[in-house]
Amino acid sequence: MAEHQGLISSGWGRVVHNKRYIVWFYILNLALAWFGAAAFSNQAHDYLDHSLQAERLANGFDVGVLIEMFMRPEFGPVHPATASGLHFALAFFFLTALFLPGVLQGYASTYRLPRADFFRACGRNLWRFIRLLIIAGIVMGAVAVALFSAQGALVKAAEESTNEVLPFELRMLCLLVIFLVMTALRIWFDLAQADVVLSDQNAVRKSIGLGLRHAWRNLGRLLGSYVVATIVALIILSLGLWSWLRLVPPASVLGAFVVTQLTLLLLLIPRFWQRGVAVSYYLQNMVAPISVHPVAPAPVVEPVTPVVISNPPAQPQPS
Amino acid sequence: MKIRSFILFFPVLSVVVLSVLVKEHAAKAASPQAAAAPAAASIAPPASSAAATLTIPDTTLAINSAQPMSQRVVHYEIDAKYDAAKHTVDATETLTYRNLTGVVLDHFPFHLYQNAFQPNSTWVREAKVAGSRDIAYDKWESKEYGSEEIKSVEVVGQGDLTSQLRYIQPDDGNKDDKTVVDLPVRQPIPPGAYVQFKIAFHDQMPETQARSGWKRDFMLGGQWFPKVGVWWHGAWNCHQYHATTEFFADFGVYDVKLTVPQFEVVGASGVKVGEVNNSDNTKTLTYHGDDIHDFAWTVSPRYKVKEDGVYQGLMGPVQMRILMQPAHWSQVDRHEKILRESLEQFESRYGPYPYKTITLVDPEPDSAAGGMEYPTFITGDSSWFMPEGLHMPEIVVEHEFGHQYWYGMVATNEFEDAWMDEGINSYSEVKVLDAILGKRTSGINMLGATLGEREIQRLMYASVADLDPIAEKAYDYYSFNSYGGITYGKTASVLLTLEGIMGEETMDRAMRAYFMKYRFTHPTKEDFLKTIEEVSGKDLRWYFNQAVYGSQVMDYKLLKVESFPVNWYEEKKGMFQKDDKDTVYRSYVWAQRKGDFVMPVDVEIKFENGEKVREHWDGASRWTKFVYEKKSKVESAELDPDHKIQIDRNDFNNSFKVEPDGKPAFKLTNYWLFATQWLAQAMAWWAV
Repeated sequence: MAEHQGLISSGWGRVVHNKRYIVWFYILNLALAWFGAAAFSNQAHDYLDHSLQAERLANGFDVGVLIEMFMRPEFGPVHPATASGLHFALAFFFLTALFLPGVLQGYASTYRLPRADFFRACGRNLWRFIRLLIIAGIVMGAVAVALFSAQGALVKAAEESTNEVLPFELRMLCLLVIFLVMTALRIWFDLAQADVVLSDQNAVRKSIGLGLRHAWRNLGRLLGSYVVATIVALIILSLGLWSWLRLVPPASVLGAFVVTQLTLLLLLIPRFWQRGVAVSYYLQNMVAPISVHPVAPAPVVEPVTPVVISNPPAQPQPS
Repeated sequence: MKIRSFILFFPVLSVVVLSVLVKEHAAKAASPQAAAAPAAASIAPPASSAAATLTIPDTTLAINSAQPMSQRVVHYEIDAKYDAAKHTVDATETLTYRNLTGVVLDHFPFHLYQNAFQPNSTWVREAKVAGSRDIAYDKWESKEYGSEEIKSVEVVGQGDLTSQLRYIQPDDGNKDDKTVVDLPVRQPIPPGAYVQFKIAFHDQMPETQARSGWKRDFMLGGQWFPKVGVWWHGAWNCHQYHATTEFFADFGVYDVKLTVPQFEVVGASGVKVGEVNNSDNTKTLTYHGDDIHDFAWTVSPRYKVKEDGVYQGLMGPVQMRILMQPAHWSQVDRHEKILRESLEQFESRYGPYPYKTITLVDPEPDSAAGGMEYPTFITGDSSWFMPEGLHMPEIVVEHEFGHQYWYGMVATNEFEDAWMDEGINSYSEVKVLDAILGKRTSGINMLGATLGEREIQRLMYASVADLDPIAEKAYDYYSFNSYGGITYGKTASVLLTLEGIMGEETMDRAMRAYFMKYRFTHPTKEDFLKTIEEVSGKDLRWYFNQAVYGSQVMDYKLLKVESFPVNWYEEKKGMFQKDDKDTVYRSYVWAQRKGDFVMPVDVEIKFENGEKVREHWDGASRWTKFVYEKKSKVESAELDPDHKIQIDRNDFNNSFKVEPDGKPAFKLTNYWLFATQWLAQAMAWWAV
C-alpha cells in the first residue's frame, strides 16, 4: 500500500513541480478550439445579432428556438462548423503526441528542464512516438471493437428480457469492464512511452515488450493509481457542470466562460497525473541497474622513510 | 260519374303522394347518419321474420347517462379466446347492424385491419417508401406477419355466405391488400331494418406495429375484429388500411368476452361486468361498452394496477384504472395526476366526459403500442428513467385522453380528415398543457432548458411546411413525416393563429359549441369551419382557403431599418461631432412578405427615446415601407409583436435590432467551444 501510495503521491509531485506543462497544454487546447469554433461563431453572430427572437436564448435557454435556428437554411449548414471543430480537436491530439516526450523528460528530471532540452526530447522521439501510436492504435482499437461488439450482443440479448432495467445495468457493467481493460492497455503503452524517452530507446518494440511485462506484473498497483486519477477527473467534470448549471445565471456569458474554462483546465490534470505515475514507476522499477565489477586491491607499499643525505665529515689528506 | 271517379281517385292519389313523401323524409334523415334524438324505433318492417326480433340495446351501463347518447348503429357481441403462446385470437362475432342509411343495402364492406401486416399489403408498401410510425421494413421478419381471417360468415335468415366474401381495394387497386372484404347479401336490407352477421374469425397478431400486437409477454388487441364500414354521404366509406391512416366506425354497443390465461392482468374498453375462472387455467372477463365505436384490450402478467382513483365528472363518477409497467411504478402518481387534470380541463373547456371508466395503459417498453387512443382506453409512453422535468408521459397521456373527445365522441373520418382529430387534439393539447405545465415549460423544464408545446407543434409544421395542405386525405400525403407535421403541427398552429385573429374567448366558445353540437356524430371539415365562423360572426374564408385547403406558406420578414439625420448634407465641424438632441432623423422600416400566405399583421417600431409606434399591414403587396421623422432613431422593429401568429415559418427574421447584440451568439459559441475542447481532451486521453 505504501508503494501504491508512493506511486500516486510521487506522480502527483511530478505534476506539481511541472505545473507549467498543464498551463501550456491548456492554452494549446483553448487556442485550437477557438479556431475550431470560429466558423460556428461567425454563423451564429450573422444570424442572431440583429434578431429579437435570439433573446430567448440569452435569457434562459429555449430549446425550441435553438432547434429552429439549426433548421433554418439561412443559418447555413452545420457540418462545416462541426468538421472544423473536429479538425482542430485532431490537431490537439497530434500536438499532444508531439510534445509528450518533452513532458516525460521533464517529469523524470530532478531539475527544471530547460526549454531546449524539452524540445530536443520532442524532436528526438517524434518518429518513435508515431510508431508507438500506430501500434497502440491497432491494439487498443482491436480490443475496443471486440469488447464493444460483445457488449452490443449482451445488451441485445438482455432486451428480450422482461426486466426493463437489465439492458441498462448490463451496459453500465460492460462499460466498466471496457474502461478497466482499456485503462490497462493505456498503462502498458504509457510505460512503453516512458521507456522510449527515458532510456533513449530507438527499438520501440523492446519498449513495448518491457512495458507489457511490467504492466502485467504490477497491474493492480498501476491500475489502482490510474483509476484514482480517473475518478478525480469525473469529480472535476461533475462539479464543473453542476457549477455551470446551478451557480452561473443563465444570462451570464462571462460567468459561463470562466467556469467552463476552469473546469477544462483542471480536467487536464488527471491525465498528466497518470503520466507522472508512469514515470515514477519507470524510475523505481524499469531503469536498468548499473553493474559493479569487483576491483583487485592495490598492492600495499611500505611507506619509505625519507633519508636525509647530509654532507659527510671531511677526511684528513696523507703527507 | 265524375264524383264517383273523384271519390275513387282521391284516396289512391293520397296514398301515392304519402308514400313518396315518406321515402323522401327517410332519405333526408339518414344521409349522413346524423345526430338525431336517440332512442328512435325501427322505421320500416324488417326483411324477414328472423330479423324482426333484432334490435340494438339501449343500455347505459357504461355511461353516466340515463339515455343513450348516440344514434346506435351497431351492436358487437364478441367471444374471443387469446392464446398467449401463439399470439392468436379465435373468436365469434355477432354483429347487429341497423340500416339508418335511408337506402337499400345489398352489400356490406368490413375492415380486416390486421391483414395490413403482410409484405405486399398497401400498409407495408407505403411504410417502406414513405415511412411509418415505427418500422422501416428494411427487412421482413416473420414475427411482423399479422392476419385477420374470416373463417365463416352467416347472415341471419340468409344462410352461410362465406363463399361470397370478396377482398376489395377501393383506394389503390392493390390486389395483394386484404384489409377490406366485401360481403354481398342475398336479400338486400331495406332502410330501417336490422341485419345480423355471425362471424367466426381467427387473428394472428404480429409483433407490435401501429399500436397493436404483442411484445415479449405483452399484448395489445387493437383493430382486431371484423368491423363494418360506415355509410357516409350516400356511399360506403370503407378505406384500405394505409401507413398514415387511422380508423372510422359507427357508434354502438359492445359486449365482449375475453378468455385469457389466468396469470394475465387485463385491461379493456368499457366496464367489466363479469369474471369467471375456467377449469383449464383460463379466465373469461366480460366487458360492456355504450356509445363507443371501437373496442381494445390488453394483457400482461406483469402489470401493476392502480384503480382506486375516481374523478367526479360533470355527469357522474369516472373510475380511473391505470396499468403500469413494474419498472415505472414510481411514476404512477404522475400518470394519475395528468389524467385527472386532463379530465378537468376537457370538461371545463368543451363538455362532459360521459363514460364511467377511463383505462390508462403503460405499454411494454420498445413496443410500438405507446401513444394510442381507443374509446375509454388509452396507452401512454414512458421509460424507467424519466426525470420530473421531462414531460413526455404527461404530453402523451394528455394527448391520448384528448382523443376521447376528438375522435372518441366527435367521431370524424380519420382516413379523409385526419387533421380533425389529430390536429384539433394537438391544438387542445397546447391549451391544456399550457394551463397545467406552463406556456414555455410544458415540454421540457430541466437543467435550465425549457421547451413549450406550442413550439413543438410549430417546429413539426415548419419542417414540412410546403408539402401538403391540411385538408389532404391521410393516405395522400407525400410522406409519413409530412402527414405528422401537417395534421398535428400545422393544424395546431393554424388554430392557435385563428385564436389570435378571433380572440381567445371567442375561440373557446367556438370549440365548445363544435363539441356540443357534433359529439356522437361524424362531422365534416365544413361542419367545423362553419361552426367557427358562426360563433365568431366573421367571414374567415380568406384564412381557411389558405390555411386549411391550401398549402401556402407564411413568412414575413423585416427587411431593413435605416435612420439618418434629415440634414445629413450639412458639413460637420469636426470628424467626431455628435448629433445634438434637436437633430431630426428620417427613419425607414421595410417589411417583406416572403411567402405566399397573405395575412394582415401588426408592426411595432421602437425608437431610441422609448417611443413605440404600431402599424398595421394587410400583407397584400410583396413589401411595404414605413417612414418617420422624429428626434430619435429607430432602435428596433418587430412584426407580430404580440406573437399571435404561429404559422410564420421563420420567427428569426420577424424582427430587426439596429444595434447588434452578440450575447446570444457568444453564449452558444461558449457551448461549442466547451464541446470542442472536451472532445480534444478526450481523444488525447485515450489515444496518446
